Amino acid sequence: MSSINKYLFFFIYLIFFPNAYSESFVKAGDSLIWDSENKSYTALGDVEFKNDKFIAFSDKMLAYYKEEKNEEIFTKIELFDNVIIKFNDEIFKGDYAIYTRKDNIIKLTGNVSIESPSRLLTGNELIADIDNNKRILNSGNKDSLVEVLLENNAKD
Amino acid sequence: MTLNLNKKIINILIIFFLGIQLTIYIYNQKPLTENFSQKKITVENFSSIVLSKSGINKIGSEKLNKIDEDNIFLEGNSYLENKDYKIYGKNISINLSKEISNSDDPVEVINSMGTLKGKGFKNLDYDGKIIFKGEVNFVINK
Repeated sequence: MSSINKYLFFFIYLIFFPNAYSESFVKAGDSLIWDSENKSYTALGDVEFKNDKFIAFSDKMLAYYKEEKNEEIFTKIELFDNVIIKFNDEIFKGDYAIYTRKDNIIKLTGNVSIESPSRLLTGNELIADIDNNKRILNSGNKDSLVEVLLENNAKD
Repeated sequence: MTLNLNKKIINILIIFFLGIQLTIYIYNQKPLTENFSQKKITVENFSSIVLSKSGINKIGSEKLNKIDEDNIFLEGNSYLENKDYKIYGKNISINLSKEISNSDDPVEVINSMGTLKGKGFKNLDYDGKIIFKGEVNFVINK
């Protein structure tokens, strides 16, 4: 009986887990405006955006789309205020972020930080090239670029 | 003599029946005229096509209430549909002249990007904008 339950659980897991994991969505706490003339969505208040690459949080989001084969596809996403982007084991933070789909690049500006399990870097501007796995962190001057090495269990 | 009398009776009967048909025809027309002149009209299980600047809209509801020449109220489960979206909601007010529709009840919208659920909406059709109020969850198609 228990082995049947295990198989049943595994079967349900196979059906539902990949769908739940790959689901893309936009959540807004206050409002969402769909502007079909300018082909954009504006989300306000505790915004959460998820696609197949990353999950992002901010106070405001402006997403532009295009129509392709009777489907709308996001082309550019702008995030404003208290921006947090989680990509694999990295966390990017900043005041503003822009993501362009065609080159899969996220650019963050204003009080930027990049946190990975082993280090924390802060600066003024971060360019994260997702496809080429490159991170460029710029600062206004050399003194403002800060690097902190984190121990493996430092966050626990 | 008898033949002439029969013909007369038949003619009278024909005229009588034509008169009855005419009365029925006039009587059937009368209520329609009265309904259109009324300020408030209520229709149940209604669906219709409305032509606006943004194109053809299909609307439907459990109960349609005509408030005045410009305003209608879709009572109960209702929908608005055009080439870009389908809006399923409840208790939707529509201003036909301003091309604005809105509702404070939960709404579900299906468009070519995905399915959106909100707590209410205001559709500024003339401007191509739909504002969803409160918490919004928009699940995007793969």
